[in-house]
Amino acid sequence: MIKRKLILIMENKPGALVRVIGLFHQRGYNIENLHVDVVEDFAPYKNIEDKLNTKFEPNQISRLTIQTTVSDILMRQILRQLNRLIDVIAVSNEEATYFKGVLLDENLL
Amino acid sequence: MLMHALHDEGVELIYGYPGGTALHVYDAIFRQDKIEHILVRHEQGAAHAADGYARATGKPGVVLVTSGPGATNTITGIATAFMDSIPMVVLSCQVASHLIGTDAFQETDMIGVSRPIVKHSYTVFDAKDIPKTIKEAFYVATSGRPGPVVIDIPKDMTAPENLFDYHYPDEINIRSYNPPVDPEQSQVERAVDAIIKSSRPVIYAGGGAIASDAEEILYELNEIMDAPVTNTLMGLGIYPATHHRFLGMLGMHGTYQANMAMHNADLIIAVGARFDDRITNSPSKFAPKAKVIHLDVDHSSVSKIIEANVAVFGQVKNSLQAIKETLKVRIQDYDKGALEPWHGQIKEWKSMHGLNYELYKDESDSHQILPQAVVQHVYEITNGDAYVTSDVGQHQMFAAQYYHFDKPRRWINSGGLGTMGFGLPSAMGVKLAFPDEEVLCITGEGSIQMCIQELSTCMQYNLPIKIININNEALGMVKQWQDMNYGGRHSESTYKNSLPDFVKLAESYGHVGIKIEKNSELKSGLEKAFAMKDKLVFVDIYVDPSEHVYPMLVANNSLEDMWLSKDKKT
Repeated sequence: MIKRKLILIMENKPGALVRVIGLFHQRGYNIENLHVDVVEDFAPYKNIEDKLNTKFEPNQISRLTIQTTVSDILMRQILRQLNRLIDVIAVSNEEATYFKGVLLDENLL
Repeated sequence: MLMHALHDEGVELIYGYPGGTALHVYDAIFRQDKIEHILVRHEQGAAHAADGYARATGKPGVVLVTSGPGATNTITGIATAFMDSIPMVVLSCQVASHLIGTDAFQETDMIGVSRPIVKHSYTVFDAKDIPKTIKEAFYVATSGRPGPVVIDIPKDMTAPENLFDYHYPDEINIRSYNPPVDPEQSQVERAVDAIIKSSRPVIYAGGGAIASDAEEILYELNEIMDAPVTNTLMGLGIYPATHHRFLGMLGMHGTYQANMAMHNADLIIAVGARFDDRITNSPSKFAPKAKVIHLDVDHSSVSKIIEANVAVFGQVKNSLQAIKETLKVRIQDYDKGALEPWHGQIKEWKSMHGLNYELYKDESDSHQILPQAVVQHVYEITNGDAYVTSDVGQHQMFAAQYYHFDKPRRWINSGGLGTMGFGLPSAMGVKLAFPDEEVLCITGEGSIQMCIQELSTCMQYNLPIKIININNEALGMVKQWQDMNYGGRHSESTYKNSLPDFVKLAESYGHVGIKIEKNSELKSGLEKAFAMKDKLVFVDIYVDPSEHVYPMLVANNSLEDMWLSKDKKT
């Protein structure tokens, strides 16, 4: 069990946050720290825009950071299931980034 | 506007139940003739009926219910569809938007209640969003790994005065949702490498292969590969059960040869299957010698329980096609003959402890009716060509073992959630989709009573389903576990003479009821029932209550550890 930090980029829509939190709650894991911001500076996410062939507009996406303590195997499962959520655009931990199902080796976020 | 959008989406049938917040929509239903609405007797029945329709046709099932209890009554049906990845759109009406959050009459936070069991959900906050929301919901429900989608619609959004410039979108693009379609060629090459190296392969195909309509391509691939094939409970029919390479179902109550083949395989090709705990037994002891190729559309299914050596992401139909094409190119490297010892071994397993398919031939009264024989007679009488729905329990396993499905989408059952009460309403959905086909429901006296009110719906819409009630006067599967693991203490698994007279019950709904108690009358009784083409016939068959389902995996062990009968273990 290791303390971990997760970063999510997601659509800024009502209901998106609670879907994310539900995946932790369901398994009985506590979230130690949670932070959500509307993204205003899109420059760091240019590569995501390119991959999705889209252009982020103001107030459209949020950046969410979560701190929690879970095992390795479970972390991978949660990462993938977070990535499966329709409103989630990309998920990243310290080692890897999941981007709509594609595991990217580099840490993007 | 909602009805317009549903019609433009191609919806033909809706299953539902009206109520206060749904009245605007129901008035619109009355004033149109393009979409047929089926009035059920309980909203759970609507969800299961839509589910059965979706499983049989491949098209999304549509449910319409009112707020509060109407919405919450669909929950079991939504969870059933979610666990089995069935496309479904549930339109749940909601109290008017200014009342949301005020504990208004029949208000429930349906989006909140259903959140963990939907693929996605929407609330309509502006009537103008209805067409786009409908389009998106159907796209999400049917694409990628299918699943149920809930749309919550406050009453004021459907008010007749709420008019707007209607335009139904031609296509939809959700930038944060791009399910894979075609596999990466590099993954395909690795899969073919593994296939070429293997001498003891097994193809293990599940519900995902059916969802992807992969039956033809799977068959064509195996004409080249010549590997043994097993199906999960959800996958039955994707490969012809009467084919000589078919091993039967695997897992908890799978055949001896299927479980032995999986345990001893050097390569498992998982096609739209998710290594459920009913399949793997103890994951740490599962198939110790096998490499795993996993074909799936959902990334989160791969390496969730069993680590995959090769993962091929995409629609499994497209992935199978790519593997077939690549294998064809490299066919000179593939030695079909190398599989011969493996086929010999499987043949030996089959002859050792295969299922007894001759049970039904003994028509004497020297013993009570055997549940397995009931299914075999039904199989013979319907020429193996019926749509068979089922509930959950021993009868479900007997049906899966003894009814041989040669075509997909014919075996309709709640595999993942294991929902008792699914059989009858899902049979209604199938019969409405295919009125000219034989549709039957193999059930038990426990399950059938969980949604028996739908007998009334069957009367209203003239649905001549055949209900085969395998009556052992007990919750058979519970009792079997109590016999095996709890010293035979039958805690709350029998009814102590409180069962209804099912014949009279069926008759009171205007249907036909037949009771069969003697083995010598089984065949003729069933033939009589199936001869009544335009009637719903409820066949209540009293079977030997002491029968158990075998084989059965020994818990927390490998796939080669099975109970073969009450006193015989492998």
